[in-house]
Amino acid sequence: MTAQTIAAGGVELAGVALAPLVVGGVQWLKARAQGRRGASALQPYRELRRLWGRAGVRPEPSSGVYALAVPVAVAATFLALLLLPIASIAPDWGLGNDALVLFGLLAVGRFALAAAAWDTGSGFELMGAARDLTIAVFVEALFLVVLALLAFPAHSTDLVAMSGAAASGEAWREPAQWAAALGLGLVILAEAGRRPIDNPDTHLELTMVHEGPTLEYAGRDLALLHWAAAARTWAVLVLAAEVLLPHPGAFAVQLLWLAGWIVVFVVLLALAETIQPKMRLLRVPVLLYGGAVIAMLGLAGRLLGVAA
Amino acid sequence: MTATGAAACAGAGLVAAGGLGALTGRVRASLTAQGIGVGLTAVAALVVFAGGAPVGAAFRSGVHPAFGLDALSGFFLLVLCVVALPALAYARAALPVGGRSVALAALTAAFVLAMAGLVAARDITTFLACWELMTLVPAAAMLVARQDEEVRRAVMVYVGITHVAAVGVWATMLILSAHGVLGGAPLGPGGLQSFVLVAALVGFLTKAGIAPLHVWLPRAHPVAPSHISALMSGVMIMLGIYGLSRVLFLWLTAVPTWVGVVLVGLGSLSALVGVLYALVQRELKRLLAFSSIEHAGIVVLGIGAALLLGSAGQPQWAAIAFAGAMLQILNHAAFKGALFLGAGAVADAAGTLQVDRMGGLLRRMPVTGGAIGLAALAIAGLPLLNGFVSEWIGLQALLRLPVEETDGLALVGAFGAATLAATAGLAALCFVGVAGLMLLGHARSPEAGAAREPAPGVRGAVAFLAALCLVLAVLAGVLVPRLAQLGPGSWSGSAALGLDLPGTGSLPTPLLLLALAVLTALVTLARGRRRAAPAPVWVSGQQDDSPLAWTLAGFTKPLRLMVDGVLRTRRDTVTTSSAGIVEAVRFRGDVPHLFDTHLFEPLLRLASRAASVARRMQSGSLRAYLGYLMVLVFVLLLLLRLEILS
Repeated sequence: MTAQTIAAGGVELAGVALAPLVVGGVQWLKARAQGRRGASALQPYRELRRLWGRAGVRPEPSSGVYALAVPVAVAATFLALLLLPIASIAPDWGLGNDALVLFGLLAVGRFALAAAAWDTGSGFELMGAARDLTIAVFVEALFLVVLALLAFPAHSTDLVAMSGAAASGEAWREPAQWAAALGLGLVILAEAGRRPIDNPDTHLELTMVHEGPTLEYAGRDLALLHWAAAARTWAVLVLAAEVLLPHPGAFAVQLLWLAGWIVVFVVLLALAETIQPKMRLLRVPVLLYGGAVIAMLGLAGRLLGVAA
Repeated sequence: MTATGAAACAGAGLVAAGGLGALTGRVRASLTAQGIGVGLTAVAALVVFAGGAPVGAAFRSGVHPAFGLDALSGFFLLVLCVVALPALAYARAALPVGGRSVALAALTAAFVLAMAGLVAARDITTFLACWELMTLVPAAAMLVARQDEEVRRAVMVYVGITHVAAVGVWATMLILSAHGVLGGAPLGPGGLQSFVLVAALVGFLTKAGIAPLHVWLPRAHPVAPSHISALMSGVMIMLGIYGLSRVLFLWLTAVPTWVGVVLVGLGSLSALVGVLYALVQRELKRLLAFSSIEHAGIVVLGIGAALLLGSAGQPQWAAIAFAGAMLQILNHAAFKGALFLGAGAVADAAGTLQVDRMGGLLRRMPVTGGAIGLAALAIAGLPLLNGFVSEWIGLQALLRLPVEETDGLALVGAFGAATLAATAGLAALCFVGVAGLMLLGHARSPEAGAAREPAPGVRGAVAFLAALCLVLAVLAGVLVPRLAQLGPGSWSGSAALGLDLPGTGSLPTPLLLLALAVLTALVTLARGRRRAAPAPVWVSGQQDDSPLAWTLAGFTKPLRLMVDGVLRTRRDTVTTSSAGIVEAVRFRGDVPHLFDTHLFEPLLRLASRAASVARRMQSGSLRAYLGYLMVLVFVLLLLLRLEILS
């Protein structure tokens, strides 16, 4: 194992610590953009510390499913971080580096929290879980079309190979890549639970999507769930920076590219949240369909040999 | 005869003896004998599938009965045994003594033998005889088990549609046999091949429950006794895929590309139709029947991908796509078998099949409930369980087209992959809801609150199949390379601990599962055992009472609203008011099955009108029949005279 793979593994693990910073950064920048002072970007860490010291609750009725859901969701999200390519390489944890498996591991948390929602029988939790699973139907279909575009240069769904093929940025000469960028952007918004698909700041039960299933949790469970949500955002952002965006150069330069793209994403997310209100739930599929149609057009464009 | 052949024959003999023995009234002894017979057959099937030499005869074109097993037959025989063994254990524990059980036990043996005979048939006589028996025996079992109007109508539709479609199977087999294809060289492209292809698609896909010819399936499967439903859904419909695979990959060569495109289209349609209508059902067994349509669709998508990849010059991935479809069949047998047997157990314990009237069953019946939960998660495609593994292979195979090709096939592949992903998402919504409603939360009816764990035989049967879902996920890396040798193309992958397919980032399920388990344990430890205050769930400060409890309809409401343009829900609101005061509001909503209302019922009306015309001709008077004969002779003579007939 070379020093570079060790460093890449280190960055993968550092994601565990860095993920809340991304969420905090978006919140801070959003507040600034909206003319408020806002909490510091480190606020999520303080929240995690505060929640870690609190006692939990045990809703009536609930069984082991409610208690087990959080560790399963957190473990699956952590495994997803280990599948990410960093600067076009990844250490061999023996877990593979497949794009669909990564997406599947992110879905495990959705399953676990939906099961916990049924366990407590809470209407608001179930409402959020049902919406989350419903939106996932369209997101998964969209992701597959986007993957069909992004996997073409490497002829592989191996994330390391895809990342290597995307490094030079050659693919951006084709309209297919632009279509893929649009589609992947929508996937990021949905997976990270951001506006216009979901509002991470909502405190009204009736409007919650991702926040809904966390409603019955408190204390350490809630802290873990907050971390898992941040880690999911981190995972999709790193994924986009590696397999979609150009990052040429040597290993160290590629790491700088990665950091730069993450900062760009934070700015973009903050701006999008500032100018874009949440969409009506029933209109979300139209948005995602639209993304899938454009991605399909990108595919058709490639077949016809259209070049930008 | 080899030892393997002897074991298979002895197994079949024991099943037959058990079936005959049931007629003496000893139901449990009969089912035990059948179970031992199936176990023996399973060993033989496993040996042949795992790489043992073929046993018995090879396929021949004549009409003299012959039996034999090759690797593909061995695999399907294994699928049959995997479901039949727990189904028999279930029946042994659940069927009451005497009465209808005598006939049911005998019919179960006949059904198992018919399916085993079909996969072991090596000539058309046996093949077609077993094909017909496989259709008729479960129909008889349905009529024995229940004798009301609903079951009679269901059996009528089932037998009618499958027999009309059986014409396709007969035509396929007779043509192939007449042209010596079964015993010799495969049939090349041409007009005859196209005819055979159309006939085979209609005949075999109807049996597999592929839309738009699926309307018999959601009628027939729910009314059969649960162990027969498990066999019908887990094995019988997939034997349609067995026949189709033989035709497409072994008996025909250079199959044109349009067949692959049609299969991807029909597979996508069935997968979506199956899961969408499963979502709107309230009765568990009917829901499971629709889900079988979905899974047959997923298998057909894989077969279509295998054909397209073969014609696109990717033999490696053609073999893997086929292996994925076969693995899907085995996986489906495991979780659908578990769910149908579990549904039977729950129906006995909670007195209902309405999912909205169960609830809290995991606490009342931990073993059966836990097994149903595991099977439901597997069928929902929870990552790392077996359903996810075979869907992952299917997705990768379809993605191979846009990732490697730059022609129209790329669009077909991307479309198929997107549909399959949406299907997986819908299945997750459906089965997380079903499992949650059945197993978790409060009991939603007094009967569900008093449910008890069923007899050990029933528990064991459901638990065995559910455990298989986990085992199959771990063993995928061993099974796929072997399955890839049974169909088209060639792939030189060898058995390994995980799935390492070319051009993918690999799916090492054993390690991923292990890592997930270890990490979950670590997180649980880190969370520690802290004080947790009991608290009621948050319902905006109101009393938590049962009218507020969620139903499956509520859980799927966002999706139903989003796709209402396709589902076309019928809603009826009746408001009763007197003197300007609303006294009552009644709401009724249901989702009609559009294939019934727009396709099947018009056809049925047409058919019965034709039948009533034909009936007028059947006056029963001898003079009329003599008249018909004279007209016939006259017409034939006229045709001869005009030299149309020579």
